[in-house]
Order: sequence, then structure tokens, then C-alpha cells
Amino acid sequence: MSTRRPVAASLAVLGYLVMIGPLVFVVVTAFTAGSTVRFPPDGFSLRWFGAAVGYEPFVTALVSSLELAVLAACGSLLLGVPVALAIHRGRIPGKGLLEGLFLSPLIVPELVVGLALYQQFMVGLGMNNFTTLVVGHTVLMFPYAVRVTGASLALVDPSVEDAARGLGASPVRTFWTITLPLLRPGLFSAALLSFVTSFNNVPLSLLLQSRDFRTLPVTMLDYVQQSYDPIVASTSVLILAGTVLVAVLAERTVGFAKIFGGINR
Amino acid sequence: MRTRRLTALLLLPGLVLLLAGFLVPAALMLLSPPGTGTADVFARLGQMLTDPYDLTIIGRTLGIGLTVTVVCVVLGFPVAYLLARSTSRWAGVLLAVAIFPLLLSNVVRTFGWLVVLGSQGAVGQALVALGIVDEAPQLLYTPLAIVLGLVQLFLPLAIVSSYSALAQVDARLDEAARGLGAGRARTFWTIVVPLSWPGVVVAATLVFAGSITAYTTPYLLGGSRQRMLSTQLFQYSSSTLDWAAASATALIMTVLVFGVAALSSALGRKARIA
Repeated sequence: MSTRRPVAASLAVLGYLVMIGPLVFVVVTAFTAGSTVRFPPDGFSLRWFGAAVGYEPFVTALVSSLELAVLAACGSLLLGVPVALAIHRGRIPGKGLLEGLFLSPLIVPELVVGLALYQQFMVGLGMNNFTTLVVGHTVLMFPYAVRVTGASLALVDPSVEDAARGLGASPVRTFWTITLPLLRPGLFSAALLSFVTSFNNVPLSLLLQSRDFRTLPVTMLDYVQQSYDPIVASTSVLILAGTVLVAVLAERTVGFAKIFGGINR
Repeated sequence: MRTRRLTALLLLPGLVLLLAGFLVPAALMLLSPPGTGTADVFARLGQMLTDPYDLTIIGRTLGIGLTVTVVCVVLGFPVAYLLARSTSRWAGVLLAVAIFPLLLSNVVRTFGWLVVLGSQGAVGQALVALGIVDEAPQLLYTPLAIVLGLVQLFLPLAIVSSYSALAQVDARLDEAARGLGAGRARTFWTIVVPLSWPGVVVAATLVFAGSITAYTTPYLLGGSRQRMLSTQLFQYSSSTLDWAAASATALIMTVLVFGVAALSSALGRKARIA
């Protein structure tokens, strides 16, 4: 980087230090041979990785998190893609307002959405927590599906679809054979973004948890409050590794900065 | 006529989800929490806005939110500026490193500060080893810890928003200003900052709204000593089961976020006109 901009460069270095520094310490601590989270760590071992993989509550919670993230990503796409199609291809009045309405779950604090669902569905209607979680996560991921597939739909030339219609294809057939294949990168981006966001969610998953079904981040939060051994550090390193894999997958397919930063380079 | 019916059919499932899974429960939460009514929620809201304990929490939330916003813009804008103007091939890698934390669990990111700031943590042990203090100071459960945690959380967002704005500013304008004899600092303040101002406004809004509603960070790094609105809301809804208070807190949080969003869109509009 440029050394001719000393002020900007030192602020930037400080920024990276705050973003990445703590993660370095987590990684180092995870390999400790001792039994407390401390720095510098006592020796080197892989024992806490063994402990993390063998700790039943974390494994169960991981399965729950994955299950929920897949359901929410699929649900939000199934409902969101038709909405994106209607907004970008339909002839309807008040498109801007409608789009704003569909993006509204993004503006309201997640904790408030969680409280509303907890109060009204679980306490009020006695719904079970798994169903409520699926509904809640789908609602939260829904705006991503509408926005990301919408952006990708805006890049598809409508005249291609008109040509198919003009050649006698029904609207449904046009969608399956023309629009959907062209939308594939957008669908993939939206699915990946929803999956990651749902997997990492805390506010909603925390308020809607039950003893039978809780997600990994919520289980980890609970564990940290009770004991201070390095199992959370090793679990964090495993999550970090998984997240790096997702990032690499994103980079190899659609482009990492494009999906997660919304940056078109 | 057929296409209009088709459009309605496409919108319907999404509308049902939005109404049943979000808008109606949110409205009911504010108007009629279980066992109480609208009057209770607003009575509790009135109490909160006069009670010193609740006002401390609201004040702390706003203070921390503002601090985090300022720090994120001050650190994030230079990162975005250097990355957007760099021709080095490392710029792409550094941008990826800045975006990557957005994908990573908040619990994992915040846990890092427990390792750094905890009583057995790196900072405390370093201070003892250097002989600056005899006993490692308690750095956790302080406003400083929450600010550090939230800056780490939201800095990537500030960088991404600023970068998007800066990437649209033609770098040749910088060169033109320099060619006409402006110094680096003057070019930065009279060309770069005004042209990317809308991006800075967006960044600040996202960071502030995120900071005043985040849960994981104030919970882990602030504990019960440094309550914020979010941790207080969880307390009301899970431990004390005070629905009126929980709804009133949710109302305060929502109004704050909407207020900031409105302010930001007004500022953004002003920037476009000017």
C-alpha cells in the first residue's frame, strides 16, 4: 500500500487489526494443551478439537442449524422468486412501494421480529418452536431472495422472453426454459446468502429456542456463559474453516465480493 | 387480463408470508401482548422514558451506537479509499479479507474479544508482563469492550458501503485536481469526500442501526453490568416475562431505527441536490 498517505494507511492498518486480530487469538487458543482459555496458551495439542467434535450438544445443534438454514433458504427462494418476477415483469401499479414492503423485514430489528413471533406464535397460539423458527428465518431471508434474484432478473433482456412467447410458448414454459436458466447465478447467490445468514443468526434463534431444538450459535453462547474451557475456541476454528470453504466456493462460482459485498468489479 | 391474474398469483404466497409471519405478529406485539393490552404497553413506555434506570440504558445504547458509527467511518473510509485507488494486485485480496468477516458467525467474532480482553487474556497478560500493572485489569463488561466488539462486527459493512461509492468516483478527477495544483489533503477533502458522501451516509446508517440493535456483542462483552436495549429486551421476554416492558422496548428500538433511516434518506437527498 501507498506509504505516501501515512494517515490513511495507519488508520487502515488499525482497521484490519480490529477486524482480524481477535480471530488470530481464537485460532492460537484453540490449539492449547491446557484446560483454560488463556494467553499465551499452555503447550500445543489437538485435544479441544476432539472434544468439540465429540461434544454431543454441539453436534446436535449443528445438525439443527444446517436443517433450519436449508429450509429457510429453500422457502425464501420458493416464495421470493415469484415475487421478484411479478415486480420486474408484471404490469402492476406501485412497484416501488410493493418492493419496499417486501424488503421491510430487513429494516425492523431482528430481535423485534423474534419477539413478535415468540409472543404471538409460541406463547399466544402455542405453536411449536421448530415451525416458528422456520417461518421466522424464511421471513428474514425473504428480502434477500427478492432483492438478489430481482437484481439478476433486471439483467435478463425481456425481449428474449418475448421472443419465446411470440413463438407460441406459454408463460410457464417460457419461465422454465428461458428465464430460469438465465437466473441461475442469481438464484445461487440468493441461496448462499440466505443459508449463511440463517446459519449465523442469533436474535431470532435465541428467542425461539427450546430444549429440543436450538441452533449452534445459541448453544455456543449458552456454553460460554457457563464455562470457560477452550472447546468454544476449537468449535469457532471449525466454523471459521467451514466459512472459508463457503467463501472459496462463492469465489469460484459467482464471485465472492459480488454475493456478500454487493460489489461488482 | 390473464397476465394481471398471473401477477397476482405470483405475489400472493409472498404476501401471505409477509402478513402472517411478520406484519400481523409485529402489530399485535405492539398492540396486544399476551395477557395485557395496548394501554399497558404505552403506560410502560411512558415509565421507561422517565425512569432513570431505563434512561441510562437508552442513553448508553445511543452513546455506544454513535461512538461505533464514528469509529467505523473513520477507520472504514480510509480502507475503502486505499483499496479503491490501489492498482496493486493485493488490493483484491485485502478487499476479500475485509468482506470475509460478514460471512462469519457473530458469536465466533465476538468470542475473540473474550480471548483478548479476558482476565487471562492477551492484553491483560501483556500489561502484567511489561510491568505496567501488577494485576490484569478487568477489561470485559465495560463500554470499551462493547465498542471494540461492535466496531469489529460492523467495520466490514462500513468498508463495503464506502468502497461501492468510491469505486464510482472517477479516479481521473483526483488526478485533475492534483494536476491543477491541489495537495493530497485538499484533493481528498474537496473532491473525494464530497463525491462519495452518499456512500458514507449509507455506511453510517447501517452501522448505527446495527449497533443499537445487536445482541450477541453486548451480551458477551457487556454482561448484566452494561445493559443495552437489546439485552434488556431479552431479559424482559425470557426471564421476567414482562410482556408490556418487552413490547415497549421493542417499540423504542424500532422507532430509533426508523428515525435514523429517515434522517439518512433526507441527508442522502440533500447530497444529491447539492
